[in-house]
Amino acid sequence: MATGVIEKAKNKKGAAEQVVDIKTGNEMAAIAASHVNFHVMGYYPITPSTQIPEETDRMKAEGEHDIVMIPGDGEHGAAGICFGAATAGVRVFNATAANGLLFSIEQLPVQSGCRYPMVLNIVARSVSGPLDIKCDHSDIMMALNTGWLIFMAKDPQRIYDFNICAVKWGELEDVRLPVMVTSDGFFTSHQLRRVEYFSTRDPVQDFIGKFKPGITAVDPNHPVTIGPYMNDPDLINNKKQQSMAMEAAYKHLPKIFEEYAKISGRKYELIETYKMDDAEVALFILNSPYDTVLQSVDNMRAEGKKVGAISLNIIRPFPADLIRQVFRNTKVLVVGDRQDSYGAWGGNMTHEIKSALKDDPENKTEVLSRIYGIGGKEFYVEDGIALLEEGLEVLKSGEVKKRYAYFGATETAKDYKPVQAFEPITEEEASPEIIRVELNPKTGVPEVKGVNMRALTKMPKRIVPGHGACPGCGIFPSIGNFLKGIKGHVVMLWHTGCGMVVTTGYPYTSFRTTYIHNLFQNGAATMSGLVEAYVERKRRGEIPGDEDLTFIMITGDGGHDIGIGPTIGAAMRNHKFIILEYDNEGYMNTGAQLSFTTPKCMITSTSHVGPAQAGKATFHKDTSQIMAACNIPYVFTAVESNFVDLVKKAAKAQWYAKHEGLVFGKILSVCPLSWRSDSRKGQEVIQAAVDSNFFPLYEIERGITKINYDPEKRNKKIPAIEWFKMMGRSRHMAKPAYAKITEEVQNEVDRRWARLKAMAESPVL
Amino acid sequence: MAKPKILPKVNEYDCYEIRMESIGGLGANVAGKILAQAGILGQGLNGLNFSSYGSEKQGTPVKGFIRFTEKESVRINSPVTQPHLIAVFHISLANVLPVLEGLKPEGTVVVNTNKTPDEIRDILKIPGGITVYCVDAIKITVEEKVRMNAPMMGAITKATGFLDPEQVKKYIRETFKKKYPQVVEPNCKAFDRGYKELQMKVLAKDDKYDFIEYHPFMSPIGYDTAPMGGVITDFGNAFIKDLSGSRAGYIPVWHEEECIHCGQCDIVCPDYAPVFGEGTDHKGKQGMVMRGIDYKHCKGCLKCVEICPTDALTGEIEAEVAEEILSTVPK
Ligand SMILES: Cc1ncc(C[n+]2csc(CCOP(=O)(O)OP(=O)(O)O)c2C)c(N)n1
Ligand code: SF4
Repeated sequence: MATGVIEKAKNKKGAAEQVVDIKTGNEMAAIAASHVNFHVMGYYPITPSTQIPEETDRMKAEGEHDIVMIPGDGEHGAAGICFGAATAGVRVFNATAANGLLFSIEQLPVQSGCRYPMVLNIVARSVSGPLDIKCDHSDIMMALNTGWLIFMAKDPQRIYDFNICAVKWGELEDVRLPVMVTSDGFFTSHQLRRVEYFSTRDPVQDFIGKFKPGITAVDPNHPVTIGPYMNDPDLINNKKQQSMAMEAAYKHLPKIFEEYAKISGRKYELIETYKMDDAEVALFILNSPYDTVLQSVDNMRAEGKKVGAISLNIIRPFPADLIRQVFRNTKVLVVGDRQDSYGAWGGNMTHEIKSALKDDPENKTEVLSRIYGIGGKEFYVEDGIALLEEGLEVLKSGEVKKRYAYFGATETAKDYKPVQAFEPITEEEASPEIIRVELNPKTGVPEVKGVNMRALTKMPKRIVPGHGACPGCGIFPSIGNFLKGIKGHVVMLWHTGCGMVVTTGYPYTSFRTTYIHNLFQNGAATMSGLVEAYVERKRRGEIPGDEDLTFIMITGDGGHDIGIGPTIGAAMRNHKFIILEYDNEGYMNTGAQLSFTTPKCMITSTSHVGPAQAGKATFHKDTSQIMAACNIPYVFTAVESNFVDLVKKAAKAQWYAKHEGLVFGKILSVCPLSWRSDSRKGQEVIQAAVDSNFFPLYEIERGITKINYDPEKRNKKIPAIEWFKMMGRSRHMAKPAYAKITEEVQNEVDRRWARLKAMAESPVL
Repeated sequence: MAKPKILPKVNEYDCYEIRMESIGGLGANVAGKILAQAGILGQGLNGLNFSSYGSEKQGTPVKGFIRFTEKESVRINSPVTQPHLIAVFHISLANVLPVLEGLKPEGTVVVNTNKTPDEIRDILKIPGGITVYCVDAIKITVEEKVRMNAPMMGAITKATGFLDPEQVKKYIRETFKKKYPQVVEPNCKAFDRGYKELQMKVLAKDDKYDFIEYHPFMSPIGYDTAPMGGVITDFGNAFIKDLSGSRAGYIPVWHEEECIHCGQCDIVCPDYAPVFGEGTDHKGKQGMVMRGIDYKHCKGCLKCVEICPTDALTGEIEAEVAEEILSTVPK
C-alpha cells in the first residue's frame, strides 16, 4: 500500500515508526480507517467523499483490513446501517457530503441521542439546488445541531490524525458520542500532500485501545430497550445528559491531543492562531483557505500592517472561551463564512463567534461577516488580503459600512448576450406522422406501425448536440432513440447522474424542451406532483384543454437504488407518466461505484478484485420485475441495438401513459469508460448482453408478459462469459480462479430467463 | 528568500510550478501524481499535486497542477495560475482554451506534437524567451502501447531540469507493478524515449507573440441579471459549444457517393453529429438524406463507422484529414 519512504520520524522522541508519503485527504481517511480497523463501514457514494469507501474497499480486496463494507441504498440507508451496527457493539465508519449528509441528517440525532459513538467523515460540499459538487460549508453547518462532535481538518495530515483521535474521543465513558471529521471537498480531499502515517496499525490500536461495547442489542443475558418512546418530562433529561457529554468532551480533547502527540510527534490545539498577539485586524477562516491566509498575513505584515489569522480544529463543542481569549485585543474581526444562514445576516460562524464575545463584557471587537468561496469558488492569497483590508478600512475610518456582505459574487459581463440557438419545437414538427399507434380490435392492445429508421431522422431533437458525455456514451442514443417514438410536446425530469451533469452545466443546457432536475432520491415524487398539478390546472381552465404534454422521468440505475421508494409510490398512485431507467450498471457520474444492478463479480471502484475479494458480492437487481409487481399498465426493457423494438415501445409507452397510467421502461446502456469496453463497439457489447439472456427484451402489458426477442429461437444465444469478456470490468471472470462464480452468475441468468419464459408462456402471467 | 538548492527558479511563494493541459483519458492525473512522488518522496522536496475538479468525463479538458518547494510547508493550494512550465498533452485544446495563459517570462513549454519548435511556436503563439520542447508523444504511445502520460512525463522531467529521471521511473514502477506488471517496462521505455526524443529550442526574445495574462474563469452572467433560481431560459444553448477538442485523434469521414442514407449513423451517435435533412437520395428519390457530419460536436467514438453498412463512413486519423473536410459545416 505504502509507496512512501519509511522513516523513524526524526526528532520525535518515543514516536512510533511512520511512513512519509504523498496522499490525498480522502486516502488519509481510508488509511486511518484501516488502521483503526473498524468493524463496519456503511456508506453511499457522493462526490467528493466517494474515494473514502473506494480506497477502503481497495485495501479490503488486498486483505489489508477486516472492515465489513456495506453499500447503502442511499445515505439514509447508510446511516441506518451504521446505527444498527453500532448497537451491535462495534466500531463504525462512514463518509458523506452535501445532500448525502442532508439525506441522512434525520438519523444523526438518533445516533447521538441514543449515545452510540462512530466516525463520519464529511467532505464538505455545497448543498443543492442548483446542484454544485464543489466545496463550501453549507452542508456541515446544517449538522451543528445534530449532537455530534465535529472536527475541522484543514489538511490531509489532520484528516488522518483526527480520524484516529475521533475514535478515542467519542468512546470515552462520559462522552459516548459520534464524531464528524470535516475536510474541504476537493481542496483537501483530492490534493496530494506530503503526509506521515504509522507504518503499521499497532500504534493506533494501542492508542485507541480495545473497543468497549457499552449497551448492545446482542447480549441475551442483558435484554435492553434501545430507543424507547420518551416524552416529557423525561426527554429534557436525556438532552441534559447529551449536553453534559459535550462538556466532558471539551474537557478531554486537549488530553487526547497530548497523548496523540506522544506517539505521532504531531501536537494539535483546539484553535489555530497566527500572529494574533498584537493583531489589530484578524481574519477567521475555517479549513483549507487558512494556510493561504497565512501567506496573506505575511505579505501584509511585510508592509507593517498588524493583521493575524485564526481557525478552529473543532466546532462542536465550540471553543467559546478560547475565542474570547484570542480576540481580547482585536479591534476588527472579519469572519469568512463559506455558507450563509440566510436572513440571519451572517454565516453560522459569525453568529457563534459573536455570541461567544458577548459573554466578555470588556470585548469591543467589531465583527464583519463575509460570505465567500460558495460552491467551490477558489481562494487566493489576494482574497485573504482583500478581506483583511476590509477590516483595516473599518479600523481606519472607525465606521462599519457593511457588517454582512457577499465577497466574490459577480455582475453580468457588459457584453453578455443570451444565446437564442433555436425556436421551441412545435407540436406539428414533433408529430411527423411516421409512426401510427392502432388498437387491435380483438385484444384492445395498442400496436405500433411505421417505425422507419431513415424517416425518423426527421424527428426534431429534444436534446441537442453539445453535451459533455464521454465519446461512445450509451445514454444519448438510448434516450434519443426513445424520444423518436414520442410525438408532441414533452417535459422531462432527469435524476442526478451522468446524463444530467453532462447536459446542463450552467449557463448551458442541451435541452430544447423543458427539463427539471431533482436529486435522484426523489424524482418520481416530484414528477407525480408536477403531473397532477398540470392536470388540475387544465381542469380549472388555467391551461388550454387541447394542449398536451407527455411527462417523462429519466433516471440511471443508481437513481433506482436510492430513489426506488418514490418510484414505487408513483406506481401505487398510477400517475400518467413514463419512468425510463438507463441502466449502465453502476454509479458512473461519481466514478463507477457498484450499484445494485452491477452484475456479481464485476469490478467497480467499490467492488475491487484482489486476494481477499472477488468483485461485487451479490447478483444484479431486477428492477423491471420489481415494477411489474406494482401492477402498472406497462413495463418494458429495450436496448439501442434493437432500434425498431425500442421505438415501438416508446410509442406504446406514450399511449399507456396517456390512457392508463404509469409506465416503467429499462434500457441497458453502455458506459465505455467504466465498463472498459471499446467505445466504437457499443452496439455489439449491448447486443451481447441481450444474446446471452443477461438482459432479455420483453414487455409486460396489463400484466401479461411477452418476450420480444428470443436469442435461442434465432440461434444467437451465447454464454454470458462471452459478454463478460468484451469488457475490462469483467474480463477476469474468464480466469480459472473465477470459474465457480462465473458459473453461479450463468446459473442465475439461466434461472431468470427460464422464469421469464414460463411467464411468457402462461396466459395469465 | 534563500536561494533554492534543487529548484532552478521559484516564485514569490518559493514554489516552482507546473501546469498540465490535457483532456480526460490521457493520464495527466497519474502523471501529476508520479512526478510529485518523484520530487517529494524521491528528491526530498515538499509540494502538492491536484487536478482541476469536477465531474469531468472522458475527452473533456482537465488541468493538472504540481507545485514544488524547498520550504517546510506549502501554503498555497489554489490552482497554478503563473506556471514556470506548461505541458500541453493535446494540441487541439488550443482551439478552445488559452492553454498558455499565465506562462511566466522565460518559462518552459512542453508540447505533444510531431512538429518542430519553430512550427509549434506559430501554432500556439508562444512568446519570445520561452524554452520549447517538442515530443512526438502520440508516436511513442502507439509504438510502445502505453498511454500518452508516459512519454509526456519523460519530456516534462527533462524540461524541468531538476526532476531525476531515475526517481520518476521508480515511481512509475511503484504505480503499475502490482496491478499491471506487464505495463511497467513499456511505460519506462516510453518515458525514456520521451526524455530523449525531444527537440528543444530557446526562442529568441522578440515581440512576435504576447504573453497572455491569467484570467480566472468567469461565467458571463452574474447576480444582477441571472434568472431567479438558477433557471436557464436559453433552451438548447449548449449547441454553440465546440467539443472538437474531445476527440483523442480519430475521426469519421463521410463519403457521399457511398451513402445509402439509411439513418443508422443517426441512431448510434451519442453526440447527434450526423446531419440529416429533406433531399434527393442516391436513387433520385425524395426523402431524408445524410448531409454530413457536424465536426464541432463529433467526439470521434467511431460508432458510426462501425455500424455503417457501406463504406460511406471511414475512421481516419484526424491529423491526416484535410482541413477543408473538417471545416465543412453540413446544412
Ligand atoms: C443524496 C445524494 N447522494 C449521492 C449523490 C451523488 N451521486 C450523484 S449521481 C450519482 C450516481 C448516479 O448513478 P446512476 O443513477 O446510475 O446514473 P449514472 O451516473 O450512472 O448515469 C451519485 C451517487 C447525490 N447527488 N445526492
Ligand atoms: S461515465 Fe459512462 S455513463 Fe457517464 S458520460 Fe461517460 S460513458 Fe456516459
